[in-house]
Amino acid sequence: MIEDLFLIEKQTYRDSFIHRLDARVKIIISFAAIIAMVAVPYSTTVYSVGSLLIIFFLVLWVFSRLPPSVYIWRLVMVLPFGIFIIVAQIFFTNPHYAVFHPIVTLPLNIHIYAESVEFATILLVKFLVCISFIILLSSTTKMQDLLEGAGRLGFPPEFSLIMGLMIRYLFVFAYMYRKVTEALETRCFNPLSREIPWKYRIRMLGYTIGTMFVRAYEQGERTYYAMLCRGYDRDSRLFIRKKPLVPGDWCFLVCGMVVVVAAPILVWFDIIRLI
Amino acid sequence: MHLIETRDLTYVYPGGVTGLDGVNFIAPRNARIAVIGANGAGKSTLFKHFNGIMKPTSGQVLVHGEPITRANIREVRKMVGVVFQNADDQIFSPTVEQDVAFGPTNLGLDEETVQHRVQEALRMVGMEDRATRVPHHLSGGEKKRVAIAGIIAMEPQVLVLDEPTAGLDPQGVSDLVGFINSLSRTYGMTVIFSTHDVSLVPEIAEYVYVMGGGKIVARGNMSDIFEKDELLTSVRLDLPCIPKLIRSLWEHGIEIDMAYTQKDAESAFLRAFRGSG
Repeated sequence: MIEDLFLIEKQTYRDSFIHRLDARVKIIISFAAIIAMVAVPYSTTVYSVGSLLIIFFLVLWVFSRLPPSVYIWRLVMVLPFGIFIIVAQIFFTNPHYAVFHPIVTLPLNIHIYAESVEFATILLVKFLVCISFIILLSSTTKMQDLLEGAGRLGFPPEFSLIMGLMIRYLFVFAYMYRKVTEALETRCFNPLSREIPWKYRIRMLGYTIGTMFVRAYEQGERTYYAMLCRGYDRDSRLFIRKKPLVPGDWCFLVCGMVVVVAAPILVWFDIIRLI
Repeated sequence: MHLIETRDLTYVYPGGVTGLDGVNFIAPRNARIAVIGANGAGKSTLFKHFNGIMKPTSGQVLVHGEPITRANIREVRKMVGVVFQNADDQIFSPTVEQDVAFGPTNLGLDEETVQHRVQEALRMVGMEDRATRVPHHLSGGEKKRVAIAGIIAMEPQVLVLDEPTAGLDPQGVSDLVGFINSLSRTYGMTVIFSTHDVSLVPEIAEYVYVMGGGKIVARGNMSDIFEKDELLTSVRLDLPCIPKLIRSLWEHGIEIDMAYTQKDAESAFLRAFRGSG
């Protein structure tokens, strides 16, 4: 999991037209796409809107020159969180349908309803579109740029400062975790090895996790002192320089927003229907 | 009036261990002071009292002749900048530029002034081309420079450096020595630093405090400190390389003046060689 942090960061340092766009543009388009998808009422219209937005996402992904494996890997990492909720829907009725037709009857009077399956599929489409745009945003924008972009868009300075600290120390702890892991490996400790008793392995892992907690606590204390040294108080905020959008960013923003806004409208008025 | 003065400063840690025991310390304006001592001597604890990070158990810390209070703590921290030993403790923003800007922003300066100070501080430490870099992509030496830049950007009158050369490569140490000296000579900044590297002391400092067991066990200029072998042994320190070499030459009957810095040693050696030639 920790190594994925470095993998994500590595992707953001690639160079492409999408990578070079201002973070604000990417944030606005990604969130607009998410809102457009979420705002479509629960009906089969979602399939067409979702398809259009996924096509738009795929075009952007191609322009970003990122390998498909990056998207698939990150999607697989995220899927379990959403899939559990989506799959659970097929066993329950929901307020979006008046009549439910069982298509499979299981023991203990559990049914799978045709309408619930449709509802779960709609949820899945919405989930996939939202996650895809988040993956695109986070794979093409450096964390610090995201934070600066969000700050320039009016993200509250209190949150910017805390998020900034989080980003900084996420990597500090990732390196610390790496060092601890390397120290354990250097001394031939493998938590999955059956050659050493399981009680010993659990105890050592406990010590390691405990050490990380103590280090985190101590790091927090030292950092707080360092912040005080530099005048930290309740009015402190992260320094974010003013930066105007260049014409290329404006152009992409307008085009992107047209696509995102047009997709649900065209489907809603039956001008386009893909599925 | 001294910039920093401590009077019978005593600090006892919550566990009951005495960190500082009756420390009397004076930092005059434009001075370059080294605080040397073994691990656990109390150097870092003393430094944290200079800008009110730690509060004395007894005794006083005076900055510009005024005791540190809640009312003047902000002014004190603006005046006395402390650079910690581990740069990762001090760099807490996502980019170099944002980190250096943290202090000036907290001082309530406008954006233009903040940007000017950031650029100036990064230029002084030779990191102006790395403003947009993220801290975890920097080397140890670069992080140290960014940490120093973060303090310099607040334009303090006193720069306190806790083990500034820890973890630096020889070139990094050499660069840092030049940089600290220029801060003092060009900008009139008072520099106080702690180190285990005794050879570094004469290259930067003009006055030395020796600490041991939370106390100041000796103070004076180079000859006052480095001519006392017993003193250095008692605090688990050694002579700097240059006076050690000169003493060794004395034992071989070579007459040469004592020197502590590389520059003085060069002159002393040339005089000795020309005299013998």
